[in-house]
Amino acid sequence: MASSSSTLSRPAALRRPKAFRGPTAFRSVGRSILLTLPIALWSLLMFTPAFQRAGRDEHIGAGVVIVFMTALFFLMMRTGETYRWRRIFFVALGFLFPVGFIAALVAQRGTMSIPISRMVSGDTPFCFMVTPSIILPAAFAKTIVFPGSILPTASNPHSIAIMIGIWFAMTLVLGKAWCSYACFFGGIEEGFAAVAKRRRLHRFVTRYSHILRLIPWAILVFVVLVSAAIFEPVYCMWLCPFKAVTEFPAVRNVETAIQMGIFVALFVGLVVVLPYLTKKRTQCGFFCPFGAFQSIFNKINLFEIRFDREKCVDCTLCQTSCPTVALSKESIAEGKTLLNCMKCGACVDACKKDAAVWHLKGTPVAVKPERARLLFLYGAWALATMFGGSILANSVATMMHWLPLK
Amino acid sequence: MAVFSLSASAGEALVLGLATGPVCLATCGPVVVPWMMVQPRGVRGHSRQLGLFLAARLAGYMVFATAVWLAGSSIQRAWVGQAGAGRAGIGQSWLMGGIEVLLAAALVVYAVGWPHRRCAAANPAYAQASARHEARDRPAYAQASARLGTTDKLVRIGEARSLRSGALALGFLTGINLCPPFLVAGVRAAELEHLSAALVFFVCFFVGTAVWFLPFLSMGFVQRTPAVVTVARMVAVLLACWYGFSGVYLLIERTFYG
Repeated sequence: MASSSSTLSRPAALRRPKAFRGPTAFRSVGRSILLTLPIALWSLLMFTPAFQRAGRDEHIGAGVVIVFMTALFFLMMRTGETYRWRRIFFVALGFLFPVGFIAALVAQRGTMSIPISRMVSGDTPFCFMVTPSIILPAAFAKTIVFPGSILPTASNPHSIAIMIGIWFAMTLVLGKAWCSYACFFGGIEEGFAAVAKRRRLHRFVTRYSHILRLIPWAILVFVVLVSAAIFEPVYCMWLCPFKAVTEFPAVRNVETAIQMGIFVALFVGLVVVLPYLTKKRTQCGFFCPFGAFQSIFNKINLFEIRFDREKCVDCTLCQTSCPTVALSKESIAEGKTLLNCMKCGACVDACKKDAAVWHLKGTPVAVKPERARLLFLYGAWALATMFGGSILANSVATMMHWLPLK
Repeated sequence: MAVFSLSASAGEALVLGLATGPVCLATCGPVVVPWMMVQPRGVRGHSRQLGLFLAARLAGYMVFATAVWLAGSSIQRAWVGQAGAGRAGIGQSWLMGGIEVLLAAALVVYAVGWPHRRCAAANPAYAQASARHEARDRPAYAQASARLGTTDKLVRIGEARSLRSGALALGFLTGINLCPPFLVAGVRAAELEHLSAALVFFVCFFVGTAVWFLPFLSMGFVQRTPAVVTVARMVAVLLACWYGFSGVYLLIERTFYG
C-alpha cells in the first residue's frame, strides 16, 4: 500500500546518516515547539506540588526533570526519532532509580537488607514484578504472597493496591511498552548495551532467538506455579537480578547466602555482561517473567509497529536493531512484530526505507504513521513523566543532598 | 456404631479433601501443568493422562495411609513437632528430600526426555531418513516392515508406554509428596482404629481433592504450537531444578545440622 501524500515520512535527504552527526531536521523548530507544549505543560503540572512544599534540593530535582523530559520530547518531535531520545530517559531512570531508592533505604533502616520485623509487619514496598505471582494464591486462597500491606500506611506508601493501580492504568495505555517507558530496571541493561562498540555473539542470538524469546514465558509459568505451591513470591526470593541493586533479605544462613549469590550472578550476567556483549536487553528479552506477562496486554493495546511490505526490502536492519529479539523473518514477512514487542521504536528508527511504521489498530497500515506515533508518544511520555519523572526528581534531589553546595 | 464412625470419618475426609483441594491443586500443579502441556491436543488424551495420574496418586495415598497407620502415633508426634520426635523428624525430612529428588528426575525423564525422543521418531524427516538407511542396509527387513508397518507400530507402542509410565510415575510421586493437607489427613488417619478405616479415610480424602483436578482437563483445548510445547519443556526443566535443589538442600540440611 503506497503512502498517501499527507503521510509525514522522513525525506531521503534528511534521513539520519549512518554515522550520526547531530539531529537532522524532520520538523521545523516552531512546529516542534508547538507539539511539545502539551508535554511541557503536563510536566509543570506534575511537579508543581514539589515547588510548593519541598526544599531547595527538591526544587532543583523537579526543575531538572521538567527541562529534561520536555527537551527530550522536543528532540523526538524535531528529529522524528523515538528510540534515541527515549533511551536517554530510560537509561537515566535505570541508573538513577537505585540511587534514590538505596538512599531512602539507608536513611530509614541503615541497611539495604530487609529486616524480618519489617517483612512480618508488611512494610516491604510492593514491586510490580510480583504481580503475576500473586494472582493464583489470591484467587484460590485469598492470600497475598508478598510481605507488603494492601493499603498505604505511614511507613509504607508503596502499598500493593497503589502499585497495582498504577501498573494497571499504565498498562492499559502502554501495553508492553511499559518495559520501554516505565520499568525502572530495564534502563541499566540498556545503558550497558548502548556503551558497547559492536555486537558480539550476534550469530548465536540470531540463531537461537526462537528459543531465547520463549524463556521468559517458561519462567513466568514456573514462578506462578511455584509461588502458588509454596505461598512465597518465588521471583523475589530467588530470581530477581535487581535485588543486587535494591533491597534483599539479610544474609543470615546458607539459604540466604545462596539467594544473594543467585541475585548477584544474574545481575552481573544478564544486566551487565550479556547486554554489553550482545547489545541486546538480555534480562528483559530472555529472562524477565513480568515482561512476558506484559506481552499479553499487547493484544488489547491500541498501538503497534507494523511493516509496509511494499517498501520493505528485507534488509533485516530492524531485526538486528531490536533490543529484545521481537522480530523474526516470518513476522516481518507478515508485516508484524512478535507479541513481545515493547514499542521502543528502534526498528522504526533503523529502517532506511521507512517501511517500519507506528500503527493505530483498526486503521490502514502505513497511512499517516506519524499521527499514530504522536498519539502513542503523548500517552507514553506523559506517563513516563509522571512515573519515571518523579523517580528521577527524587534521585536528583538525593544527589543534591550529597553535593557540598550549601 | 462402627459403621457410624466409619461413615463419619469418611465424611470428614471428603470435606477435608474438598476444603484443602486448592492447596493440593497448587502443590501438584507445578508437576501436572508441564506434563499435560507436552501432551498432544485433545480432551480424550488428556482425560486418559489425568486418569492415570490420579490413579497413581491414589496408589501413593494408599501406600502412605498404610504406612501412617502402621507407624501410628509416633509419626503423628514427629509431624506436629512435639519433643522427643527428633529422629522421626529427620526421617521425614530425608523422605521428603528423597521424594523431591525423584520427582525432579521423573520430570526431566518424562516431560523432557521421553516424549522428545518420541517426537524425533515421529518426525517425518527422521522416519524417512531411517527408512532410507534400512532400505540400504537391510532391504529384506525394510520391505517386511514397510508391508507390516512394524516400525510405526513399535514407535506408537513405545510412545504409549512412555506416556503411561510418565503419568504413573509423576502421579505416584506427587501422591506420596508430603503437602500440608496430606499431612493433616495423615495425622487423622494415624488415629483410626483399623487399617481399613485409614484406607477408606484416604480414599475419601482423595475423592475430595480429585474434584479440584478437573480444570486441568481444559488444557486439552489449548492450542499446541511448537512454542507452547517448548515452553512446557522449559518449565519442566526449571521445576526439576527447583525440586532437585529443594530435595538436596533438605537432605544436606538434615544430614549436617540434624
